[in-house]
Amino acid sequence: MRVGFFVTCLVDSMRPRIGFAAIRLLEAAGCEVIVPEQQTCCGQPGYNSGDRKSAKAMALKFLAEFEAFDYVVLPSGSCAGMIRVHYPDLCKDDPALLARCIAVGARTFELTDFLANIAKLKKMPGTFQGALTYHDSCSGLRELDVYKQPRALLASMPGVAINEMVESTTCCGFGGTFSVKYGELSTRMADNKCQHIAATHAGTIVGGDLGCLLNIEGRLRRNGDSTTRVMHIAEVLAGTEK
Amino acid sequence: MKNNSINFKRQVTIKLADVKLQSALSRLQSRFVEGRAAVISEISDFEETRTAAAAIRDRVLNDLEHWLMHFEQQATARGAIVHWAETGADVNRIVAEIAVQHGVRTAAKSKSMVSEECGLNDALELAGVTVMETDLGEYILQLAHEAPSHIVAPVVHKNKEEISDLFAEKHQLPRKTGIAELCREAREILRPAFLNADMGISGANFLVAETGSALIVTNEGNGRLVTTLPRVHVAITGIEKVVPTLEDVTTLLRLLPRSATGQSITNYVSVLTGNKNKDDHDGPEHFHIILLDNGRSSLVGSEMQEMLRCIRCGACMNHCPVYQNIGGHAYGWVYPGPMGSILTPLLGGLEKSPDLPNASTLCGACAVVCPVKIPLPDLLRKLREKQMERGMKSRRETFMLKAWAWLALHPPVYALATKFGVRAMSLLGGKNKLLHTLPGASGWTDGRDFPAPEGLTFREIYQRRNRQ
Amino acid sequence: MNAREKILGRIRNAQARANGAAVAAIAPRTEAVASHLALHPRGPLPPHPDNLLARFKECALKLSSDVLETGDRKEVPTLLARYLNERNLPVSGVCWPSLAGLPWSAAGLDMQPRPAKNQDLVGVTGAFCAIAETGTLMLLSGTETPATTSLLPETHVAVLDPRRIVATMEDAWDLLRREYKQPPRAVNFISGPSRTADIEQTVTLGAHGPYRVLLILAPA
Repeated sequence: MRVGFFVTCLVDSMRPRIGFAAIRLLEAAGCEVIVPEQQTCCGQPGYNSGDRKSAKAMALKFLAEFEAFDYVVLPSGSCAGMIRVHYPDLCKDDPALLARCIAVGARTFELTDFLANIAKLKKMPGTFQGALTYHDSCSGLRELDVYKQPRALLASMPGVAINEMVESTTCCGFGGTFSVKYGELSTRMADNKCQHIAATHAGTIVGGDLGCLLNIEGRLRRNGDSTTRVMHIAEVLAGTEK
Repeated sequence: MKNNSINFKRQVTIKLADVKLQSALSRLQSRFVEGRAAVISEISDFEETRTAAAAIRDRVLNDLEHWLMHFEQQATARGAIVHWAETGADVNRIVAEIAVQHGVRTAAKSKSMVSEECGLNDALELAGVTVMETDLGEYILQLAHEAPSHIVAPVVHKNKEEISDLFAEKHQLPRKTGIAELCREAREILRPAFLNADMGISGANFLVAETGSALIVTNEGNGRLVTTLPRVHVAITGIEKVVPTLEDVTTLLRLLPRSATGQSITNYVSVLTGNKNKDDHDGPEHFHIILLDNGRSSLVGSEMQEMLRCIRCGACMNHCPVYQNIGGHAYGWVYPGPMGSILTPLLGGLEKSPDLPNASTLCGACAVVCPVKIPLPDLLRKLREKQMERGMKSRRETFMLKAWAWLALHPPVYALATKFGVRAMSLLGGKNKLLHTLPGASGWTDGRDFPAPEGLTFREIYQRRNRQ
Repeated sequence: MNAREKILGRIRNAQARANGAAVAAIAPRTEAVASHLALHPRGPLPPHPDNLLARFKECALKLSSDVLETGDRKEVPTLLARYLNERNLPVSGVCWPSLAGLPWSAAGLDMQPRPAKNQDLVGVTGAFCAIAETGTLMLLSGTETPATTSLLPETHVAVLDPRRIVATMEDAWDLLRREYKQPPRAVNFISGPSRTADIEQTVTLGAHGPYRVLLILAPA
């Protein structure tokens, strides 16, 4: 399987290690991973802010770079949702383009969804000892039905105990530009999430979208919690690099 | 009701600091969210029913003119008088005229969000008609001179103690503390209002075109009383509330109370058709139905038409993490939560509600629970697009969006910009790898640290490795 | 142009624009409306219960209604008298004229066959039919079946023929269509005692309508 890997702009600049962890997982699942080097952003920030024109330009750029692969995989439910669910909306007025969007969308997957349902990775390359709790990011959950996949992958690791938090599916308050424009509201939502995380006594909060994780980590640290580990699921499944 | 949604941001600050409100809101979440989850499992195929419900609403909306005309014809044939109102002010004028025509001095009213749109109570008081709200929640609000903060549970923002104080003060009776006692006291105070009212005013949850009926769902029984005892009944509702047949409305009834309050059915469902027969002992002699447009017709045939499917169950606000944290008053008009964030700008003007379409993470919890499958996040996004098209976004935001898009479309520049950007931020992060302030992003850093980037971009490291 | 014409005109033009037509084609639309009305198709239905009576009782109890049964309609007053006495409730009230013939006074009850007034504390009605799916009563208003009887008194008693229990509200509409040409002024579906949850979302029985609803199942 030739897999085009879309790093996502956030992982590219903020947490490269998540990108490399994801590649290790894909390779462990027997994929040939290719990273198109001109890739940048999926266009979601503009799309969700009403800048449809720019978002469409980025959709076209994505199509040109990724259309040729058997699969496209992203370590983010929100960017994968953008491609699979919203690119067709952006291109709905052009039937030929729409068909291309739908076709590539059908081959585009969030990382854990791909590992669990397509590549059927059984043995995780990483090791993890201890309890963790999982936050379900909104787009992955509601646009791509990612809920069981990360839990199944985590459960396959011998040392992992999953302590479910209450309201794991409630938004953490990130919401892209929302987190800056409506900072107070966003902070309160993050705060609620942090309380639910603390109540699990898990010690590690894991998620599949870096945006949510930065938001949660930012609030944890500001609250003086310097010990709770905040990890992307790729880092847990792949282990840290030697 | 005056549209105050321009003050959304200021209200958010106030509401987040309101401790009493916060505990009231957590109650709403546990009762309504858990109640709904428990009761939707009673329907063997909930998704199929939702799909059918959305189709019923679309059938009407795609042919609204014909269904409205059929409704009007049937209702008129049974003796009801159908009025058309373009604006809330028109509704107020029509109701006042009906009051004069029938010599009405007092009116008993059951809950109607459409009448809140119009500010009907104040208008009728000016016209010399005494109006008594009879839904317990609305009655409490009338005593307190407040607006509803939820379309189903209007007084959710108040706790028992506040209501005890309010009743003791306004009723001049010993202060009651139990909820049942408070309800009994309100019942005894309000019973004469039903018996003495010349006019009953209600909303209508649905209008059935097949039979020309207005359908009202209530739990308290006040809806039945105001439509049974007074000699005049005026039902006020929006033009979009038509449903073709009794079967169609039954499908919607399987979803409305379940989505709203977690009930399999409301205590009362009243299907009201025409006025009383001459030998009947009860029922109004005159039945007036007022159909309000107030901007709704401008949504027909537009990309926002799906909003007109709404059956006002409130599930979207009950499940909205923004509503759950700030309550309904912050939204500034009649309709709060996700549906309100769309309806308020659509009916009241986008320029008057610049925040509402944006004050959402687009998390999608509302769309999942909407019984008529309104794609609420998509509609919020369309409003953001309209703001962009009409140049209503701040110059700073527009510049940032355009700059980001330009960078993303020019990969070499993008690579260079991110390369230096992450280095700088990484250095600023220091040993704790946290930024406590970030220029231009105080919205984030006022309440959160910003975790610093690692220092190199993925693409840098990847290219370096590939060269080796 | 009046408000009606303006509103309908706006809708007509918007729909024509949406359909890409210069003028809305009226004939096919009228036909589509008429055909849907004629067919009045049903939406998705719950599975048909094996036992209508059992399902009805189960659901009625869930709604906080009380349920009593007898095989003999003449026993209804005795059952009601016991129910009222057990709860120290008044033994006088009003009933629908069609129930005036039951032996009320023999059971120690005083039931006046007239519409209810505010002071009346017990109201006895029949029912057009009942719906098993939700445990709901369906009452039709009329000269002989006043709507106030089930509304003003604190105790509402409905005497129901178990053979008039149907599965769903759809079945109830069909029964109405078969037996009447058109709905009466008011069709009231009643599902237990009136209630409110407006104060702290705590359910309290007895809001503006009855505090209790007693269903007595007795064949006509």
